[in-house]
Amino acid sequence: MEEKLKIEILFPEFCNLYGDISNMKYLKKCLPKATFIETAFDEEPCFVKEEVNFIYLGPMTESRQEKVIQKLQPYKERIKELIEKNVIFLITGNALEIFGDAIETEDGNKIEALGIFHLHAKRDMLHRHNSIFIGTWEEIKVVGFKSQFTFSYGENSNNYFAKVEKGVGINKETNLEGIQENNFIGTYLIGPILILNPYLTKKLIEKMGIKEPKLAFEEDTIAAYKQRLKEFQSL
Amino acid sequence: MKKSIRFYFAFYLAKISIIALKIIRRDASQFPGKLAITLCPNFLEQIGKPKTIIAVTGTNGKTTVCNMIEDCLKENGYDFIDNQLGSNTNSGIASTFIKGAKLSGEQKKELAVFEIDERSSIRVYPYVKPTYLICTNLFRDSLMRNAHTEFISNMLSNNIPKETKLILNGDDLIVSNLAPENSRIYFGINRLETDTDTCENIARDIIVCPKCDSKLEYDFVRYNHIGRAHCSKCDFASPHIDYEVTNIDFENKTMTIKHEEKEEQYNLINNNIINIYNMLATITLLQEIGLTKEQINPILRKQKIVDTRYSKEIVGNIELITQLAKGMNPIACSRAFDYVRKESGNKAVFILLDDLHEAANGSENIAWHYDTDFEFLKDDSIKQILTAGARYLDTKVRLQMADIDMNKVVCQREEMSLVEQLNLEGIDKVFILHDLYSMDLKNEIKEQVKKKIEEGDF
Repeated sequence: MEEKLKIEILFPEFCNLYGDISNMKYLKKCLPKATFIETAFDEEPCFVKEEVNFIYLGPMTESRQEKVIQKLQPYKERIKELIEKNVIFLITGNALEIFGDAIETEDGNKIEALGIFHLHAKRDMLHRHNSIFIGTWEEIKVVGFKSQFTFSYGENSNNYFAKVEKGVGINKETNLEGIQENNFIGTYLIGPILILNPYLTKKLIEKMGIKEPKLAFEEDTIAAYKQRLKEFQSL
Repeated sequence: MKKSIRFYFAFYLAKISIIALKIIRRDASQFPGKLAITLCPNFLEQIGKPKTIIAVTGTNGKTTVCNMIEDCLKENGYDFIDNQLGSNTNSGIASTFIKGAKLSGEQKKELAVFEIDERSSIRVYPYVKPTYLICTNLFRDSLMRNAHTEFISNMLSNNIPKETKLILNGDDLIVSNLAPENSRIYFGINRLETDTDTCENIARDIIVCPKCDSKLEYDFVRYNHIGRAHCSKCDFASPHIDYEVTNIDFENKTMTIKHEEKEEQYNLINNNIINIYNMLATITLLQEIGLTKEQINPILRKQKIVDTRYSKEIVGNIELITQLAKGMNPIACSRAFDYVRKESGNKAVFILLDDLHEAANGSENIAWHYDTDFEFLKDDSIKQILTAGARYLDTKVRLQMADIDMNKVVCQREEMSLVEQLNLEGIDKVFILHDLYSMDLKNEIKEQVKKKIEEGDF
């Protein structure tokens, strides 16, 4: 089964801030027989014509966000189709905003995004938000970090990713973090989310059809996860 | 500019605060400036400025370059003010101006040398217009503060005054495109034997052409995005270098710098490429303001890297080396790892990179570990890796992600007992890589290692 899995990493040449690309490196270690496709910005995404099991898009600079929106715009309907088909999407950091309605810059300009989810982001480049995060996703405690210039606004009470226990949701006024629609997960969390959250990683791998997966250096990732969860809960 | 009553009120109060802080023996490098700016928000605009201002910015090397410039200027009889002992933000710069000002608010001296934090551009450059601004490099730094290089380079480009002459690292494609309208001089180092055609670092911030998005073709890569490149589809390319190192003689520790067809030889402080860039930036600036090789080289050759950044001593038959590897700064740590692997002999390495402040009050965001080339530690010559601290479990996972043989690794919470695990058998060099805020810990570990070597406890 594992050898049949196809995982597509979109635009790793610049959607790679904050160590996020390590998520895919870890997944490769957990699924050594799976096929990982790195799609460069000047290539057509593999998901357009082929079936893939997992699509990953990591955080990027603000100017790149606009280019990625333009790049993915022609494939919007295909993305919707894949979400309907339960393909796993892991979309981290400000990549989440690509799939919302719009990104509003400080001068009031609106950058139209893909409009798959009804969220709009507001940038404030003079104030960077940093926080720790504990949230619950499918009865799993998810831990992580946020470091961002933007917050998103809009209704996500029916399709949020995690309920916040510590930290903030898509903005400071909500305790609902990110977006989940079928297996599409979009979250403002950044960094090595899959390494930091072994139980989440296991569940994502299970969703790809692997029964009782064994993670790479599982005992050590679980030990680090438990320590972090305890630490975060004590703060 | 006409000074307001509000300015004088803030200025005199700040002056008094300096005297008060001296009496109670407290640090006066930041508070007076902070006080003055709080009382008079455009204080920096109103206070008198020296005729010439030399400023140094960039992710890594600012302090070293400033120190070298200042030493050369001092030895050549220049009188200037600087923020060497203070903060590199707007408050630190304001404090320096306050200390250097007459009661009229005008400066006593005609020259200033400032280290300026990149993030402070927005609060400094509208009021303080450097005559010369050196930018050493721009890399990924603390993601919590500096986000990414595009954010910092935009901030610099949008705030650097039009009249400032830029002295830029031409081997850094992000730096070389700063404030494109400003006049500029580039420094760089020609291809070295150690340079490669492909990059082995994780963090690379300029892979595609910023003008047309085509993949850049690198003529050579030194490290991360440092190197020379051109776009295959448009005219974007590394710039022509004005002050170029054409040859480095690592054995005799000299370098040849070519400028306008004239070649001059300078002595190197050490063979570390980072320090060569720092020296080159310094020499470029000093030559631009009119100093000659004869005025610069004798001073630079006497320079020593401060102990807080680098130290080396021989204990018994073993070299004991401490090297600053700033935590949260992936490139500084990767350079330190690269330095260790490329040194000769069998090595043991202590890695003490935790942010002690975060360890005491919070929980460090370790995302930067994954922009850092821990993979460089996977080298046969590195026989043991010892690491401890609050994030030891994360480091243990990171080392496994780098495919390092865990039989070589000691990973524990307790820092002080780490030396007990050090195995010196067959070891030629012991490295202690430490964060800026781990000086006490580094010193303690160093003393313990020395003791262990001297007692022949292996």
